[in-house]
Amino acid sequence: MRPPDLWRTTTFRLTVLLGGVFAAGIVALLGLIYWSTASYLVGVMDEIVIGQARGLEGVSPENLPAIIKAEEAQDVRNVYYYGLFGVDGAWVAGNVRRLPPSMIVDGRPRELREKGFQPGARALAERLPWGETLFVGFDAKTLSEVRLILEKSLIVSGALIFVLGLAVSAAVSLDPLRRVREIQKSSEPILAGDVSARLPISSRQDELDMLASISNRMMDEVERLLWQVKSVGDHVAHDLRTPLNRLRALLYRMRQERPELDPDAGPLDQALQETDTLLARFKAIQRIGEIDRRERRAGFGAVRLDELIDELGSFYEPIAEDRGVELRLQVEETREVLADRELLFEAVANLVGNAIKFTPSGGSIELALTCAGHGPAIEVIDNGPGVPEDERQAVFERFYRGRGALGTPGSGLGLSIVCAIARLHDFRLRLNDARPGLRATLECWPASG
Amino acid sequence: MTNILAIEDDEATAREIVSELTSHGFHVEWVADGREGLIRATSERFDAITLDRMLPGIDGLTIVTILRNANIHTPVLMISALTEVDERVRGLRAGGDDYLTKPFASEEMAARLEVLLRRQGGPARETVLRVGGLELDLVSREARFGGSEARLLPTEFKLLEFLMRNAGQLLTRTMIFESVWGYYFDPGTNLVDVHLGRLRRKLEALGAPSLIQTVRGAGYTLRAPA
Repeated sequence: MRPPDLWRTTTFRLTVLLGGVFAAGIVALLGLIYWSTASYLVGVMDEIVIGQARGLEGVSPENLPAIIKAEEAQDVRNVYYYGLFGVDGAWVAGNVRRLPPSMIVDGRPRELREKGFQPGARALAERLPWGETLFVGFDAKTLSEVRLILEKSLIVSGALIFVLGLAVSAAVSLDPLRRVREIQKSSEPILAGDVSARLPISSRQDELDMLASISNRMMDEVERLLWQVKSVGDHVAHDLRTPLNRLRALLYRMRQERPELDPDAGPLDQALQETDTLLARFKAIQRIGEIDRRERRAGFGAVRLDELIDELGSFYEPIAEDRGVELRLQVEETREVLADRELLFEAVANLVGNAIKFTPSGGSIELALTCAGHGPAIEVIDNGPGVPEDERQAVFERFYRGRGALGTPGSGLGLSIVCAIARLHDFRLRLNDARPGLRATLECWPASG
Repeated sequence: MTNILAIEDDEATAREIVSELTSHGFHVEWVADGREGLIRATSERFDAITLDRMLPGIDGLTIVTILRNANIHTPVLMISALTEVDERVRGLRAGGDDYLTKPFASEEMAARLEVLLRRQGGPARETVLRVGGLELDLVSREARFGGSEARLLPTEFKLLEFLMRNAGQLLTRTMIFESVWGYYFDPGTNLVDVHLGRLRRKLEALGAPSLIQTVRGAGYTLRAPA
C-alpha cells in the first residue's frame, strides 16, 4: 500500500484532521494554564514587593540602611533585591548597586527586564519622603520554572499526538482501503460486461456496505432491464413466427393447388422463399436467446476437436465443391476441451458457412485446428474479400451485415450466434486479416482466466 | 383408420393439429387436459400421440414418463413452446420419440408424425432396404441397382437409409438434417440440398431412375416410380 493511496482515503484525512484539532486544543489548554498561573503568580509577587516596600517606608532614614542589610541577611533563598539611592542617585545601601534604567519611580510593581534577573521578576521603585529612592524586587524563579514545565509537556505531548495520530490514522484507514480494493476487483467483471456479477457486502453494514448494496440493487435493475430488452426481442421473434408459419402454410397450399405452368406459380414460389427467409431470421434471433439463457456447462463434456473438424470437413466439402471453392483441412494434435459439442459444431459450421459464402469461385478455405499459446484454436481462413478493420467489431452485432455482404443471402446473425456460443464457453472469437481474406479464430480456452 | 390422440391445451394450436392431421386422413381425438390425456392414452389404443410439453394437470414430460413405465410404446411427438437447448434432450430422454418446438409449420408436424407411425410399423431388422429396384445393403453399405453397385460415403449412406426407410413420405430439410447429422440447429442455405444432389447423382450413375423427388417448398421424398 503506497502512502499517496493512504492519504487519499477519507478515514486517514479525517483522523489526521482530528489529530490536528486535538493538538491545537492541547496547546490552547497549556497556554491557558500558563497564562492563569502567570497572572496569579504575578499578583502574589506584586503583593510581596508592595508589602516589603511598605515595611521599609516606615523606617527612619537613618535606620534604613541597617534594616535593609538585616533583611538581606534573612533572605537565605536570595529572592529579594533591595536598593537605596541618595537624592543624587548614588548608592546608599542594598544588593542592587544601580537603579535599573528601565524602572520608573512611581511605586507601582512591574516586570523587571534587566540583565542579571530571571524573566518574570517583579520590582518597584519609589521616592521616599526625604528624597531618597527605594528599589524593592522579588524573583522566586517560579514563573520561569512553570513555563519550562509547560514547554516540555507541549513538546512531549505534541510528538506523542503526531506519532500516535499517524499510526492510528493509517491503521483505521487500511481496512476501508482494503475493502475498496475488493470492491474495485469485484467490479472489474461488471465493467467487462458481466451484468450478473455483484459487489461484496460484509456483515458490518457500514457505509461501504450501504454503498455496495445500493450499487448491487442498481445492477439488479440493470440486469432485469437488459433481460427484458433481450426477451422482448425473443418474444417478438416467437410471436411473429406463429402467424408467419400460418402464412407460409397458406402460401404452400395455394402453390400446391397450382400446376407448374400457372402464371401465379413463380410469384408464389418467391413469396414462399421470402417467408422462409423471415422464419429463418426469427429462428436465429430466438436461437441466440436460447444460447444466452442456457445454463452454463449443462451439456458440457470432453470434446475431441480433431473429430469435430473432420466431421465439419465432410459436412461442408460438397458445399464448397458445389461453389467451386477448395476446402482444406489442417489438423494438429491437440488436447480435448470441455465444451458443448453440438454448440461448438454449430459455431464452427457458421464460420465455415460464412467463409464459403464470401469466397469467390476458385478461392480456397482452410479449416485448421492448431495448438496456440494457451490451448487449441480452431481457425477458418479464406481468401475472399475479408472484413475491413473498422467493421471487425461491428460484424459481431445482431443484424450487422458488412459492406461486402450486400448481395449475398444471409441474416447477419451467424456471427452473433458464434459469439453467443463463444460467450457461453468463455472462449474468444477473433477476426484478423488473412491478407487477403479473413482469418476467424475461435480460441478454445477460458478468455477470462 | 389411424387413430391419433392430440393432448394440447392451447385451442388454436389444437385446431391446427386436428385440421392438418385430418387432411392427411387420420382420425384425431383432442384432449386439453393432462390428466384426461394420460387416462385416455393408457386406457385406449392410439397409433400415435402429439403431446404438449406444458399442460394443466399433469405436464407432458410426466405423461410420457408414466406411459413408458407402463410399457405403453405408442409413438409420442412432443410439442413444446420451451425452446431451451436442453429441453429437447429432456423430452427425448423421458421417452418422447421426436420433439417439435412451437411455433411450427403444420406440414412439418404432420411429416414428423408420419415418420413416427412408419417407424412403429416396420421392424428395423432387415439387412437390405428395397424401393423400386434400388437396394441398400445395410451391412456392406452399398447401393445396388440392376447389376451395378456403388459404395457410399458415410453421410450418403445415412441419408439414403433415412430416405428409403421413409419411402413415399415427405421429409423436410430440418427432419433430414436432424436425423442424418444429429444436430438441432438451422444450418442455413442449401446444405441439405447439396448433399442430396450429390447422392442423387451417384444413384443416377448407377442407372437408377430419379427416385429422390423435390417437393417444392416443403422438402424431399423418395418414391418408387409409378
